[in-house]
Amino acid sequence: MRLVLFDCFPELRSRFFPLSLGRPLWELRIGMGSLAGKLVAKIHPDNIVYFVPDYMADAYRAQVDKPVNDMSALVGDDLMLVNPVVKAESFKVPVQGTSEIGLDEHRTVVYARISKSDAKRLSSDDIEAFIDLAKAKLPNVTCKLPTWNYTWDLILANGEQITAEFADAGRNGFEGTLEEPVAVRGSRKDVYVAPGVKVHPMVTIDAEHGPVYIDERAEIHPFSRIEGPCYIGTGSILLGAKCREGNSIGPYCRIGGEVEESIIHGYSNKYHDGFLGHSYVGEWVNLGALTTNSDLKNDYSNVSIMLDGQHAIDTGSAKVGSLIGDHTKTSIGTLLNTGSYLGAMAIIMATGKPLPKYIPSFAWFIEGIVTKGFGKGRLYETAKTAMDRRKCEWTPAMEAMWDAVFEMTAPERNKAIKKGRMTLVK
Amino acid sequence: MATVEERVKAVTANVLKLNADEIKLEDSFTADLGAESVQSIELVAMFEEEFSIEMDEDAALSVQTVGEAVEFITDVCKKQGVDVEE
Repeated sequence: MRLVLFDCFPELRSRFFPLSLGRPLWELRIGMGSLAGKLVAKIHPDNIVYFVPDYMADAYRAQVDKPVNDMSALVGDDLMLVNPVVKAESFKVPVQGTSEIGLDEHRTVVYARISKSDAKRLSSDDIEAFIDLAKAKLPNVTCKLPTWNYTWDLILANGEQITAEFADAGRNGFEGTLEEPVAVRGSRKDVYVAPGVKVHPMVTIDAEHGPVYIDERAEIHPFSRIEGPCYIGTGSILLGAKCREGNSIGPYCRIGGEVEESIIHGYSNKYHDGFLGHSYVGEWVNLGALTTNSDLKNDYSNVSIMLDGQHAIDTGSAKVGSLIGDHTKTSIGTLLNTGSYLGAMAIIMATGKPLPKYIPSFAWFIEGIVTKGFGKGRLYETAKTAMDRRKCEWTPAMEAMWDAVFEMTAPERNKAIKKGRMTLVK
Repeated sequence: MATVEERVKAVTANVLKLNADEIKLEDSFTADLGAESVQSIELVAMFEEEFSIEMDEDAALSVQTVGEAVEFITDVCKKQGVDVEE
């Protein structure tokens, strides 16, 4: 059986901006890995095929060793198409059986189990047409599978996910190096320190309220305190961090200061002091020293977030911090309001006041206004430099993908720039 | 209508808090007029507003002197069909 992960519903994608601007939805992280990893672990396919938005196909193809946007991969085997926002632990659809299309109450495809022979009859030019045809020609069933609906759903469920995945992984013990004195609170059965990890002296690992998983070659510097549930990714470094409960970090991040209930994608830095709470941070982000976000309003009311710069969405939670897109950099002393949205590839220069709650992608926020700054060429140069430093390559395919994102996000950015210009002209 | 040169000098004076009469065409924005990088961005923004044009950031920010800015903006105005007094 071939698992087909498809990401072709624009409205759904937009609910995970800015994180989904540069990656398909199944690459979003929660717990100890990606949404895709959890679906694969649950479904156990023989093979996988990916269908991503066209603008990111070349960049994604370079990251994976499976077919991407290849319609020919839809023939020759039984298929299980799964909407990537389905919660893997709730996916109990038998992989064997007659063809059927699972639809939610809005008639959105949640899954599609398609036999090899039926797949052959659904010949189409693209995945959208294939799904539409499957919906029209094959039996439809209504299903109610739980889904991730917004990025903050991932943040708020992260601790529970880590706990569940730690149990599923079935690992514990200390395979890395611990330089005494290291204090372990709670049960040692709730701690796993992978091979190649270095835990320096004067570190506290507190597993009393949840498990702690420190993945391979991570390094924990002195005076770090790690509270479970927590996952620290391969090669990440904690620099005297106060790593509160519910964090997923890594791989190859540098984390200092205080971090609580946050998810950080790979290669991002929060090297210095400053608080990050209930936030979701993309790849290649750098948060300057003393960058601090609010994750709780003074009146304890629900936090709202604007994903498009115009419409505030009630998160339903009193605790949500910031959503920060890939490659975004904040200056020292940046203050982020509760429920802030920082787009991808943005440059933020602090003003001493909390930022506006919505900063578009590719914005240069300078002197309190959104500007065009030095343009995207300079942002790409910075991205290349940051990636070179970690022995990673900035490729033409990545640049083409970000060019497309630049165009896609132009309307809200231009609007913010115009607003800033009005301030300047006054 | 004021010339491009006069308008460039007026905008420059306004952004950098200088006297327009003391700005010369050969003045470098950074070395002579003291523009910091943030002010360079502000200058580009204000030139765009003044002339109702769109400038490529990389090209605009590579302009070094007031005279080069006059030439560059005149050229952009022509390309974008904006009437100016040369």
